[in-house]
Amino acid sequence: MNKLLVSDIIDLENGEYTLKVNSKDLVVNIKSNVTIYLINENLNKLDIIMQDNSNLKIYIFNKIWHNNLDVNIKQVNNSKINFNMSYTNDSDSNIVINNYLEGNNNESIINTRCVSNIGNSKIIINVNVAKDTINNIAVEDIKGINNGGFVHIEPNIIVLSNEVEANHLTTIGSLDRDAINYLLSKGISNKDAKDLLLNGFIYSNMDNYIKSLDERGEKGA
Amino acid sequence: MLELTDVNLYINDKVLFDNLSLKINAGEIHVLMGKNGVGKSSIAKTIMGDDTYKVEGSIRYNGKDITNLSIYERAKLGIYLLNQTPTQIEGVTNAEMLRIALSEKNGKPVDIFAFNKELENACELLELDKSFIHREINVGCSGGERKKIELLHMWILKPSFIILDEIDSGLDVDAIKLVASRIKKYYEEYNPAILIITHSSTLINTFDNFIVHILDNGKIVKEGDKSLANTVLETGFKNINALNNEHLL
Repeated sequence: MNKLLVSDIIDLENGEYTLKVNSKDLVVNIKSNVTIYLINENLNKLDIIMQDNSNLKIYIFNKIWHNNLDVNIKQVNNSKINFNMSYTNDSDSNIVINNYLEGNNNESIINTRCVSNIGNSKIIINVNVAKDTINNIAVEDIKGINNGGFVHIEPNIIVLSNEVEANHLTTIGSLDRDAINYLLSKGISNKDAKDLLLNGFIYSNMDNYIKSLDERGEKGA
Repeated sequence: MLELTDVNLYINDKVLFDNLSLKINAGEIHVLMGKNGVGKSSIAKTIMGDDTYKVEGSIRYNGKDITNLSIYERAKLGIYLLNQTPTQIEGVTNAEMLRIALSEKNGKPVDIFAFNKELENACELLELDKSFIHREINVGCSGGERKKIELLHMWILKPSFIILDEIDSGLDVDAIKLVASRIKKYYEEYNPAILIITHSSTLINTFDNFIVHILDNGKIVKEGDKSLANTVLETGFKNINALNNEHLL
């Protein structure tokens, strides 16, 4: 694991990186196979430029998210991105993710989880597949839990090509009563049961590294 | 240990049971039998504290009135329900859930080393792969695995009153035998009271003695010993009222 202190712009290739970001805006230029962890960072803008034949897994985890965030992902040819973001909101927020598939043979998987405790949590995903492109795959999997606040999701896939595989799944709901009752029946209090379920939800698209860091109260780099 | 006295049970203003009384002493095994839809699972859920049901009358556990206690409070007293379709909990592992439940039960943090060892030993006993310890609760599991996972939870939490609600449904012959033998082992080690709801003989015949209650039309219509259960399993419920009293207690 490489731990890097970065600001503004960075080129990353072949490796796993936990980034500590010194600025509100960040541009990452991805070459070959890269995994990025951004834990409890407070970015306003993130631009991801996928070079041809690159592969990125990115995990963005914020226990409490206060900001608005614009993400722009650019893919041209033969690139693959698995974008995972998970956060809990204690105030209004707007997350906008724009993904541009401009060439051929790209794959984009966007997984976002949000728990809204207070205020309105707005998530807008725009995946744009350009005209005359082929063999692109676009998947949006966006889930929210209204836990006192409200989640609003706009899952958009704008396809100008005749050959693309595109799917989107969006769910917004509250905690499952059966699941709470099940945990209560094991002798777990209502508060602990809800905490377990909410944590389980926001970790569900994260990997074990994020979970272990967050449990230790670390910020990453 | 557990005593239901003159319990009227309703769901959505529909009467399920009328003046139901049932007494289960410590260390006793009782079996509830009856046709599908007669309300056996409703009794199980009511004892566990499911607030879907409206209850009149009294439910006492170890002398304490628990009629208005929550599911959590009843579980803390040692009441445990294993049901036929255990819930799946995404994002929460068996170890996480059990660690919290155990620390609540004991009133102190668990000793992680001893806890892990106990989990591994229980998995071995239940012939359950140890990887299930850190897997999400019942997610992606077969029917047999789910029942073993519920037994794993029971083994760690050590309840004193266990309700087995058709835990043998959907299991193959070998799986039923394994589940039954492990429940018997738990019974021999910890001597809990057990209330079994079943339509099959394998689980109940694991035990030498038990008391059977046959339910019909919102009432207990017959009570007896092991031989009554086996007669019903052979002849069905339709002639239940014609049975003579040789099985009765």
